[in-house]
Amino acid sequence: MSFFSLILKNPFRNKTRSALAIVGIAIGIATIVALGIITDGLKTSTEETLKAGGSDFSVVESNVSDMFLSKIDESYINKIKSVNGVEDAVGVLTAIQPIGGNPYFVLIGIDPNKLDISNIKITKGKSFSNGSAKEVIIGKVASEKLNKTIGDTLTLSQKKYKITGIFETGDLQQDGGAFLSLENLQDIEDKPDKVTMIYVKIKKDANVDEVTKAIEDKYGNDVTTIASLEDLQSVDQGLNTIDTASWAISILAIVIGGIGVINTMIMSVFERTREIGVLKAVGWKNRRILGMILGESIVLTLVAGIVGSIMGVLAIQILLPLGMEGFIKPVYSSDVFIRGFLVALIVGLIGGFYPAYRASKLPPTEALRYE
Amino acid sequence: MNNQNKDQNAEIISNNKSSDKKTSKNIVEIKNLKKSFDHGKITALNGLNLEIKEGEFVSIIGPSGSGKSTLLNMIGALDKADVGDITVSGIDLIRKKDLSDFRSQEIGFIFQLHNLIPNLSVLENVEVPMFESKISGKEMRKRALELLDYVELSDKIKRKPTELSGGERQRVAIARALANKPSIILADEPTGSLDSKTGQVILQRLKELHEKENVTLIMVTHDMNVASLADRTIEVLDGQVQN
Repeated sequence: MSFFSLILKNPFRNKTRSALAIVGIAIGIATIVALGIITDGLKTSTEETLKAGGSDFSVVESNVSDMFLSKIDESYINKIKSVNGVEDAVGVLTAIQPIGGNPYFVLIGIDPNKLDISNIKITKGKSFSNGSAKEVIIGKVASEKLNKTIGDTLTLSQKKYKITGIFETGDLQQDGGAFLSLENLQDIEDKPDKVTMIYVKIKKDANVDEVTKAIEDKYGNDVTTIASLEDLQSVDQGLNTIDTASWAISILAIVIGGIGVINTMIMSVFERTREIGVLKAVGWKNRRILGMILGESIVLTLVAGIVGSIMGVLAIQILLPLGMEGFIKPVYSSDVFIRGFLVALIVGLIGGFYPAYRASKLPPTEALRYE
Repeated sequence: MNNQNKDQNAEIISNNKSSDKKTSKNIVEIKNLKKSFDHGKITALNGLNLEIKEGEFVSIIGPSGSGKSTLLNMIGALDKADVGDITVSGIDLIRKKDLSDFRSQEIGFIFQLHNLIPNLSVLENVEVPMFESKISGKEMRKRALELLDYVELSDKIKRKPTELSGGERQRVAIARALANKPSIILADEPTGSLDSKTGQVILQRLKELHEKENVTLIMVTHDMNVASLADRTIEVLDGQVQN
């Protein structure tokens, strides 16, 4: 038997207590993992929407708390087009409406002649007409969810829009929504001459950093450029809020899990006082006893990490059909699971240290006398 | 176990270099040892003086609370004295700070209540003291198997302590005490929780260990019959050795 196998064996001496401790910690880890999967999905979707396939960067209103609340005057489209290095600038208006079973049905208003910048592929039918004609194209996911196809109508603000085509972009938010003319969406949203953002495509020989700097220098008071997710997070409070909530939950999981581990390990040390006395009598050093108890604590929390990760993934699988499908595509990145395990490790170290220290400092004779 | 096997076991059990039964060298030297508990309210050892020769079998007797177990704990470096000097195997136990190496290499403990680890097998219990030695896992296992053979428990190595009789548990405790080839075996009432027949078997095994392997054996007991097996009997009363 090795010291390592002893550490693996000991936490499961009292199976019920260990199982309860594992479940307690696993719930915290599951929350972290599930939230991480959702946050990553949201970030990926937002980034995809932001880049819109063919564009190099986007321009949104300055000092806006959420990207969807951005409102830029249409006149900026031409202003940005005139900036050195810009090949094209396309204004889009985005809106969210509850349609069918999807509470977050994304509507994008755009000039149909500029659809290529959104990198969309019309798989069935044709594009919508520009201007006020009541036409719309819907995404593949929306078509499946709403059970609608070409020739059917989609009601938006009590007005019926004829579906002229089905498109696919690969982005779940867009594929779960619809594109229509900018004029129509401005009318629906009562935002005349306004756009949410401007997609910018730069010339082949131009440099993104130089062009964005030129725009910021010239129009920085009213608009800001977003070339990456990091840029977005610096202006979009929504994603920051999710990130903050995610960290807050992680800290809460560490505190609650840590207390649970301290309790479990103190009980374990308490029950094994005499045994610890024997280990000291046979020559175990204090640091080996500390290592053993700390190791047991880490084993407990790492098992909770595995259980929590599975629970987190299962929670996502359960939540998806309950309203999240068509809005967020879960992203199972290794970072999320590493974070879960890191939290588990921290909980193990923090929660295990005090009981381990206490055990290592037990006077051998007192420990041996313990009944 | 036949005599040939016993001879083979000699090296397994003790690392004592001398083959002489007893030498004139003191393995334990205690001078004016004092120890009190409960902030001085209870005096356990009151200026105790004692010398024990290498290879000697000494039994310590005395009534409850006389200080005999405290004395054994002091020799085994499980507790520190308030005043006095104690040298065991040439190591000054008062001045040396970390005594875990001393306990691991020089001392083998046998307790009244065997104190085996319940979730570990018999074999694993014997391996536990060897974690602090520098031997490989393979060597650890080999040595544990040899010791269990010595105490005639080779057929029960995978059993848990709860699956053994009282006598068998105490034999595992003896094997555990011998794991690191100690110079001194300290036995605190080793037959106290056993019936007389099983107790006799355990005592016989300890005596044999002392006689054949030249291990210094210090045993605390309150039973005069048990004490009479030793080369010398020391009576402790009110924290002092009685002349």
